Amino acid sequence: MSKKKKDSSPEQAANTQETAQAAADTKPADDFDDMFDFDDDPLGATGVSRKSLVIFFLIDTSGSMKGTKMGELNTVMEELIPEIRKVGEADTEVKIAVLTFSTDVKWMYSEPIAIEEFEWARLSASGVTSMGAAFKELSARMSRNSFLNSPSLSFAPVIFLMTDGYPSDDYKEGLKELSSNSWYKFGLKAALGIGNEANDDMLAEFTGNKDTVVHAYSGNQLAQMIKIVAVTASQIGSKSMTLSDQNDAELSDEDVYAAKQKMLGQQIQELVNQNDSDDVSFDTGW
Amino acid sequence: MFNGFSHSVMGASHEKRGIVCQDSSAYKVGEGFAVAVVADGHGSKKHFRSNIGSKAATEAAIETIEAFYKDPDAFDENFKTRHKQIVKCVEKQIIMRWNEKVLDHLDNNPITPEELSKFGPEEFEEIPHESYYGTTLVVAVAGRGYTWGFQIGDGSLVAVFEDGETSMIMDYEESNPANITSSMCNAMAATMFDSFYVDKKRLLCICVSTDGLYTSFGSDYDFLDYHTIIAGQLANPDAFMPSLQNNMKKRSRFGTEDDISVACVYDVELATANNDIIKAKIAENKRLAAERRSNLLKR
Repeated sequence: MSKKKKDSSPEQAANTQETAQAAADTKPADDFDDMFDFDDDPLGATGVSRKSLVIFFLIDTSGSMKGTKMGELNTVMEELIPEIRKVGEADTEVKIAVLTFSTDVKWMYSEPIAIEEFEWARLSASGVTSMGAAFKELSARMSRNSFLNSPSLSFAPVIFLMTDGYPSDDYKEGLKELSSNSWYKFGLKAALGIGNEANDDMLAEFTGNKDTVVHAYSGNQLAQMIKIVAVTASQIGSKSMTLSDQNDAELSDEDVYAAKQKMLGQQIQELVNQNDSDDVSFDTGW
Repeated sequence: MFNGFSHSVMGASHEKRGIVCQDSSAYKVGEGFAVAVVADGHGSKKHFRSNIGSKAATEAAIETIEAFYKDPDAFDENFKTRHKQIVKCVEKQIIMRWNEKVLDHLDNNPITPEELSKFGPEEFEEIPHESYYGTTLVVAVAGRGYTWGFQIGDGSLVAVFEDGETSMIMDYEESNPANITSSMCNAMAATMFDSFYVDKKRLLCICVSTDGLYTSFGSDYDFLDYHTIIAGQLANPDAFMPSLQNNMKKRSRFGTEDDISVACVYDVELATANNDIIKAKIAENKRLAAERRSNLLKR
């Protein structure tokens, strides 16, 4: 540690104190862990938070999801949590927020929950598909004054929409409101259409790109697609991308987020094509 | 009587990338005032001398404040009635002084071939000279019976008052989710400051910190509680300093891996006299934190 006295005169030195410190300690990283092991740390009461990422799941729980679709979705979401947990193990804290929409819109928890503490609450299906209302609710919560209030938030959110049908309300109005939200603009968006009734064009309006829309026609596919999209989006979402391109020219934040969204589309399509294998039959239906 | 401290730690990510600490921190206790300052150099490609820029910013801020307090009695009298105009004037003078410092540095230390090699010829020509040194700046001043401060770019100001009330005086800018930073090097810098003035409450301490500290917390509550704990330790600052420095390293290593700087000025007598009040507040904060945690997991 270097400390530098900067007082320019003895008179000042007599009644003032000043320290300036530009460079800090540069001890080898290996020594650090031992240094933190001390008993009497008054500041230890406030925990250290890693870089964090919030994943929003928007899930259609309308009546048409009843039966196999909802049963499968509940099962795969329970299985998915440990897989996403692995994404956060390195240096990112992943938080989960689940918004369900049918006749009403409802959050599973009152705020995003750290993946280590998150427990899936099994969902049931009934009512109509108020997707526009869900978009408005999401927009209201994606704010520094609400769900995105954690100081450690370091990445734009991942937003994953799952639905099996056409909205029963004015989804365009909801999407218009959501589209003005900066977090949505910079967020990584993906959507899963479930069954024959889901409209991929409408889902692409939500994601802004057809490559980040996938479709599942069977229980097996549903499980695969949810895992592919959620895990890939979490990995890319928590990636710290450098702010320069291959020519070392600086990129804007918009460019970085656009690059992430493009990467998500490419990786999802690659993985989906790999999984178009014989063991998943389109004929199994629901 | 005021006292203070300042400390900077290098971010773990900077260590990994082999780049120097971009933060600077300083404080000064003068007659009738104490000032705490931190600056966070941008550190990106075109701001390749921002470690020098951040140091120049802390120096410019302290020199300017000191000049304004040359006659502290006269300053106090003027400031209480015309603080808005005077703060603007201080901000402008800091910008001017900083520009002088960094342009002097450039005159005495011309761009090296190594620095130039990272840019194409046209790319380099487009960068204004002062941008090489781009930095944020956060300044807090404790006066006699009043407190004021200002900032340009990211960073935090937290005040702890005599009753233990702890508050962030300037809020996060909601319109800027992508963290596009206002900067001392911006041509419109003088218009980009936020500022505050408080004279209704007696100040115990005020801390300024670079963004690396704030982003190592999971919630604003924890961030504020951290400062209340600091206030509770100021009755015995020498014993506390090693703990704070260690904690800052820990936060940088396990948090967002950014550089972290903290500078603080405090009222020595009040820190001792009100220590029991602050300790009681810390105990209450702990209870509330446990309550919030148990509520969080309710569906």
